[in-house]
Amino acid sequence: MSNETFFNNDWFALQRKYWDNWTEMSSKAMGMEGAKLTTPWEGALDHWWQAMSPAAPDASKAFMEKMMEQGKAFFRLAETFGARTGDDNATNGLAFWTKAIEDMQKRFTGSVDDGGNAAQRMMSFWELPLDNWQRMMSSMSPMPGDFLRNMPHDQFKGNLDRVLSAPGLGYTREEQGQYQELMRRAADYQTALQEYTSFYNRLGMKSVERMGGYLQEVIDSGKSIDSARALYDNWVNCCETVYAAEVATPEYAQIHGRLINAQMALKKRMSIMVDEQLGAMNMPSRSEMRTVQDRLQESRRENKQLRNRLHALEKQVAALAGETPSSPPTALKAAAPVVATPAAKAPVRRKPVAKPE
Amino acid sequence: MIPIDIRPDKLAQEMLDYSRKLGQGMENLLNAEAIDTGVSPKQPVYKEDKLVLYRYDTPEGVTPSAVPLLIVYALVNRPYMTDIQEDRSTIKGLLATGQDVYLIDWGYPDQADRAINLDDYINGYIDSCVDHLREQLGVDKVNLLGICQGGVFSLMYASMHPDKVNNLVTMVTPVDFKTPDNLLSAWIQNVDVDLAVDTIGNIPGELLNWTFLTLKPYSLMGQKYINMVDMLDDPAKVKNFLRMEKWIFDSPDQAGETFRQFTKDFYQRNGFINGGVMLGEREVDLKNVTCPVLNIYALQDHLVPPDASRPMKGLVGSEDYTELAFPGGHIGIYVSGKAQKEVTPAIGKWLNERS
Repeated sequence: MSNETFFNNDWFALQRKYWDNWTEMSSKAMGMEGAKLTTPWEGALDHWWQAMSPAAPDASKAFMEKMMEQGKAFFRLAETFGARTGDDNATNGLAFWTKAIEDMQKRFTGSVDDGGNAAQRMMSFWELPLDNWQRMMSSMSPMPGDFLRNMPHDQFKGNLDRVLSAPGLGYTREEQGQYQELMRRAADYQTALQEYTSFYNRLGMKSVERMGGYLQEVIDSGKSIDSARALYDNWVNCCETVYAAEVATPEYAQIHGRLINAQMALKKRMSIMVDEQLGAMNMPSRSEMRTVQDRLQESRRENKQLRNRLHALEKQVAALAGETPSSPPTALKAAAPVVATPAAKAPVRRKPVAKPE
Repeated sequence: MIPIDIRPDKLAQEMLDYSRKLGQGMENLLNAEAIDTGVSPKQPVYKEDKLVLYRYDTPEGVTPSAVPLLIVYALVNRPYMTDIQEDRSTIKGLLATGQDVYLIDWGYPDQADRAINLDDYINGYIDSCVDHLREQLGVDKVNLLGICQGGVFSLMYASMHPDKVNNLVTMVTPVDFKTPDNLLSAWIQNVDVDLAVDTIGNIPGELLNWTFLTLKPYSLMGQKYINMVDMLDDPAKVKNFLRMEKWIFDSPDQAGETFRQFTKDFYQRNGFINGGVMLGEREVDLKNVTCPVLNIYALQDHLVPPDASRPMKGLVGSEDYTELAFPGGHIGIYVSGKAQKEVTPAIGKWLNERS
């Protein structure tokens, strides 16, 4: 295919050239002259991937995107410290972490929303499980993404409670009741989601505190972390340790359960309403289909039992008549004969003997 | 003392190296398009609904055992983990020890399979496969090897049909589902399983993936992709990584009624310990498992902790019970080089001594 020719030759040549040029340019920018590291690595990686990804085959694209995402997280961490190496105060990593804790505390309490803040951008790392939840739910939902996550919660819920407390009136009161119930479930889910999000926010803070403790240990040992990779690996270890302790608590088990239960309750309410619409259009509903599935499975179960019993009886009759049953149970449909390769030796087995069961 | 002392030039070099590896290695990554899994030759010998029973070809120079070995894999993920690549294959190792290996591939359940329950899987599908082997090969009993959830299935099967099981091998199989170090169990306690199954029918593989990944999210969703960059220049390593990645995310949906019963009976009610697990109209009693049992668990298993598996000894009725503790994890017990040398030969030897 012509695409393959392009892919194998031009595309690779292009992306190699991009990195070579980038390397050369970056070296000039920060290497010999001792310039401060201000290069937007994360942005460069993003830009490169945007240019190259359309040509990448679908089979590898999702995987490479994960590498891009984590590469950016890695670059972010390195960039944060790189940008601070020229600052006398900030070169002390402990001071940075102290500052990071303060930044996060402000952010979590809602008193700051500085989108460019390095600590805030690093927050996305803690939200990996949350991000994964949203992607997973998105794949199961007719709504794109998790549409409730960023909805203002307190005001929304307060007003909603008032609206939902009003009884339905007139010809459509049943329908009004359905929508009110749907909104209640949506509000419950939003509450559970925000509780889950808050858990990860607290987790982030504890991870930063633990990293601070680790840095203190590094100071006490008289050593230092001298590479971005070592910093990143220690950072992951701290996060993983804190996470393991926190998710083993009964509190987390309850938060986790409430999130899933609230999501399922919302989906169930949506399914009921969809079923009603299908019924109105004289189409089979999901609940009707399930009833059919249950009855069908029960019939298949009984059918199989009967066939097995019949086969057992056939074997008994054959044994009484001194014959060898010639066929396998009717329940068993051989897909294909056992095909032995020329190299395979046949197993040594006794001959089948019919016997009553 | 400065705890973080990364010089600008060193940082720049480190980041440039990373970028260059990524750029250069991308070619290997993109060339590794087709990911092949399941390397040993096999033939389908029986089909029922979405289930396919395979027989693996016996290698040249090996005389297969008279008693077939039936492998019962979990419903979660796909069974090609046992045969994932040429030099990492439990199947291949078992064949080399003279086992006549059969494996159940459960397929991918869809909504039409929602009503299939545990009884259907164990007294239906597994029993059909066992009967097929007994009829076709002219043997009274088979050897069973159950893996993880498949081990639970195998235990139940052996307790219900002791007359059809010659030997039972369980790998990373839980029997006590409420040990303190079992995160999966802790998380499921507050989930309304009835509501979930009633709502969505089958349980999506994505939901299970999310659960497994969140056991160690920063390592499994982040760090491993950074580590991967260091391997990008080696096409073989890239291929192996992608093969494992494919397996991890190749998660079939779970038939709703089976998920409901399995989760409630075992994770929430700890049925092997407390009793009360019903298959159809019969109660499961592990004391009926009287055949020889080899129980293999992994010491660093974060999905089935050793303490979840070890109580099997006191639960089964067998007088010939053997344990094998493997120094590795839940997946390493199949794919690590150490497992190829230690685990598979040990299974073969144990079976050969009893078949």
